[in-house]
Amino acid sequence: MNNLFRQLADTAQHIAETRSTNSKISICAEYFRTLAADEDLNLGAQFLAEGAFSALSGKRASVGSRTYSTCAAEFCEIDYEKVFKPCKTALGSSSETIEKLMHNLETARKKRTDGQLTLGDVEKIYQELYRVSSRADKQEVLRNAWTKMSPVEIKYFIRIMTQGSLRIGFETRSVVSAIAEAFDKKIEEVRYAHMITGSIGRTAVLCRNDNLDEASFELFHPISFMLASPLESRSVDSLKGYVAEEKFDGMRSQAHISGQKVELYSRDLNDITHSFPEIVQFFVKRDLPDLVLDGEICVYKDNEILPFQLLQKRMGRKKPTKKVMEKYPVLFISYDILYYEDQPIFEHSLTKRRDFLVRLSEQHSLPITNQFNVRNHDHINELFERALAHGNEGLMLKKEESSYEYGQRRKSWLKVKKPGGTLDTVIMYAHAGSGKRGGYYSDFTLGISVKEDERYEEEFIPIGKAYGGYTDEEMKRLNERVKELTVERYGPTLGLIPEIMVEIEFDDIQVNKRTKANFTLRLPRFKNIRWDLDPKDTNTLKDVERLYREKIDRERLKQDKNPSFIFE
Amino acid sequence: MNITKAGYHGIVLPDLNIGFDYSGTDTQHTFISHAHSDHMPRNRKSSVYCTENTYKLMQRRGFSGEATILEFGDPLETDHARITLFPAGHILGSAMVFVESDHGSVLYTGDYRTPASPASEGFEIPEQVDHFITEATFSLPIYKWASHEKLSKQIRNFASRTLSDGYTPVFLAYNLGKAQEVMHMLAPLGQPVQIHGAGYKMCDVYEEAEIDLGNYETYDRETCEGKILVTTSSALNNGFASNVSKKRIAYCSGWAAREAARAQLTVHELIPLSDHLDFFELIRLCEELNPKMVHITHTPNADVVQHYLDQKNIRSRILDLEIEEDD
Repeated sequence: MNNLFRQLADTAQHIAETRSTNSKISICAEYFRTLAADEDLNLGAQFLAEGAFSALSGKRASVGSRTYSTCAAEFCEIDYEKVFKPCKTALGSSSETIEKLMHNLETARKKRTDGQLTLGDVEKIYQELYRVSSRADKQEVLRNAWTKMSPVEIKYFIRIMTQGSLRIGFETRSVVSAIAEAFDKKIEEVRYAHMITGSIGRTAVLCRNDNLDEASFELFHPISFMLASPLESRSVDSLKGYVAEEKFDGMRSQAHISGQKVELYSRDLNDITHSFPEIVQFFVKRDLPDLVLDGEICVYKDNEILPFQLLQKRMGRKKPTKKVMEKYPVLFISYDILYYEDQPIFEHSLTKRRDFLVRLSEQHSLPITNQFNVRNHDHINELFERALAHGNEGLMLKKEESSYEYGQRRKSWLKVKKPGGTLDTVIMYAHAGSGKRGGYYSDFTLGISVKEDERYEEEFIPIGKAYGGYTDEEMKRLNERVKELTVERYGPTLGLIPEIMVEIEFDDIQVNKRTKANFTLRLPRFKNIRWDLDPKDTNTLKDVERLYREKIDRERLKQDKNPSFIFE
Repeated sequence: MNITKAGYHGIVLPDLNIGFDYSGTDTQHTFISHAHSDHMPRNRKSSVYCTENTYKLMQRRGFSGEATILEFGDPLETDHARITLFPAGHILGSAMVFVESDHGSVLYTGDYRTPASPASEGFEIPEQVDHFITEATFSLPIYKWASHEKLSKQIRNFASRTLSDGYTPVFLAYNLGKAQEVMHMLAPLGQPVQIHGAGYKMCDVYEEAEIDLGNYETYDRETCEGKILVTTSSALNNGFASNVSKKRIAYCSGWAAREAARAQLTVHELIPLSDHLDFFELIRLCEELNPKMVHITHTPNADVVQHYLDQKNIRSRILDLEIEEDD
């Protein structure tokens, strides 16, 4: 039998233990070739690339790490607090901890037998986990499943269940390559079919059966967004062939339109239509042909694009009130078109797609982003400054010849952004890292000062958590210092004497009433560890409030001459 | 019996005026368990007791003080105590120190390994011990070692496979103890080995102790390609064999039991070969010895060991920096 879950787990482990990407792909391709039945190939590819449920299903097993960890501790007959937690802290991974305990402990070994579970059996277990809702019921399902699995199976069973990465250095792109290699097809064709179907399992089956051309795009099935790389992270020799657009301070969205039916999807492919009824009306009124548009939802009022913080008042609401809609009116600004004249047009060049978009905008009065030819670096600076003056985040540079590379982050789209700001903060807590950073304290809760603030009793309160932006050397030095400053331990978290100063950089400040500071930072990261600074140099909450007001109240250039977008 | 921790590593029996791996000068008799730098006296001129092999290895690592050599099993009598060394199985020369006195007996383990490293003098333990002072480096049930036989096969297979693929195998192993253990395991292959200079200068002590290290020489950048290389990860990061592009790296350490090590060190193979005992061996040994008290040191997870010993009705305490009274 080739369709045993054990073989999939062993394949995943083999891939994890192999360094070169090409060898990993060959191992996976070889595995796919052994799966004779279509249903097994479908599941095998899905488990390796998407998770327990297909990406399109929107389903989740909904088993949290505490649920499966306490269940595992009980299964192994060990104390969760006293034994499981320190093990997890040492390894930085719950699933690896469970694998090792299941292997090492006699109490766990004698409960398990090789149940010869097939891929289909495991799928049924995931369905069962989806069906039941209480923690006790989910744990019952897990216990039963584990009695039939080896430790390696259990590890990957958990990683697949949580729909996260398998942590084997093998992401979706490589699975696509493995499918192409397994059945001797061109990678581009397989990738295209995957983009269209949105299902890696179905793609694998179509590929093996020589039916890739059956993969056809369907309206109201969102496809993964094309993503941009930061300009500084890519070595781009020349910006020749790139055009510039302003990078809006809004929410990325994909609109599918057919007659009276309009649906909006967020970047994680969730349906967000209900939050923005006026956008639906806006499209319906324009009597459009069938379309898929890629663009940005922005708060737009009195010729000004208003900050993202105001758009947050509209996000996540089931049904906005009339008052909220009047106060924060939104507009969908398109910058790409993916479906036109009854067919998908991803493969067309940006230039060609842009022509369609411009034509559509003129005929139906649709707002579309303004596009500029890039003359030279000075010109980019000028455009960049104007984008900021408009209240936008910066610039997008897009390659004119590029197709719409769904779900990929490559050089065809580049983003140029200005950091939101910097703050001098102090480390309050250190958290044990996971995955690659297992065994180190790699995540840090950073505090700002409220010493002189009558609203607070404390000296410092948290403003954010950062986990990157330092070198390996710096991390080691941090870890040494952290050990010296530790005063409390809460499982994987250490409470520290506030001493280590960190200058952090962030993209934005947002109001968040659920935090002590009432503010959260977007993408906080280390800029410099300031061994030279003293905790009394920490920025205060008042500084944060001032920065926030400055952002909100900042004068914004009206959409007048040289606007960010064209809307006749 | 008073047992106190002095500084991060040293342990002192003040009533008997005895120190273990202790850098102070106020104890009359100081015993050094083995030649790893965190156990060697920090004062290079101290006067200590240790095994002959430990003394030779310490000299090669810069120790210029005096040492009185003690043979395993050949006791030293002082006014208040009788002290005997037992082989610890950790690295060559490594010893556990057994102290018998009117206050009861103490076994100080230093670092140890049972089953013993094949590149050591073995592992032996007294039959009855009152106070068992044990390290607990790998004191979590996630750590369970494979047999030396299995690990040495993994080591030889990695070397052979890598060579036959036309690559140069590089073993990352600590330059005293682990490096020679790996070489000893590789010896049956008969393939030429080059070892980093810091490890090379320890090798003759192993040779004199009749531990076969195979066909080896000191690392030479110009001729290292295609030979089996043994070095440390810091040397590898600082240009060791950087002229050889086709190489594959294996990390040999108890810490290789963690998946995260793969990404942290970017290695091809993880070989969990440890010179410390694993969690299960530790608990089993405590059961066998059944001492009046287990004193746990050298671990962030002493409370896990304690939790298990409690279940087996074995008394234990965590030996940390505070001076604690004990009966």
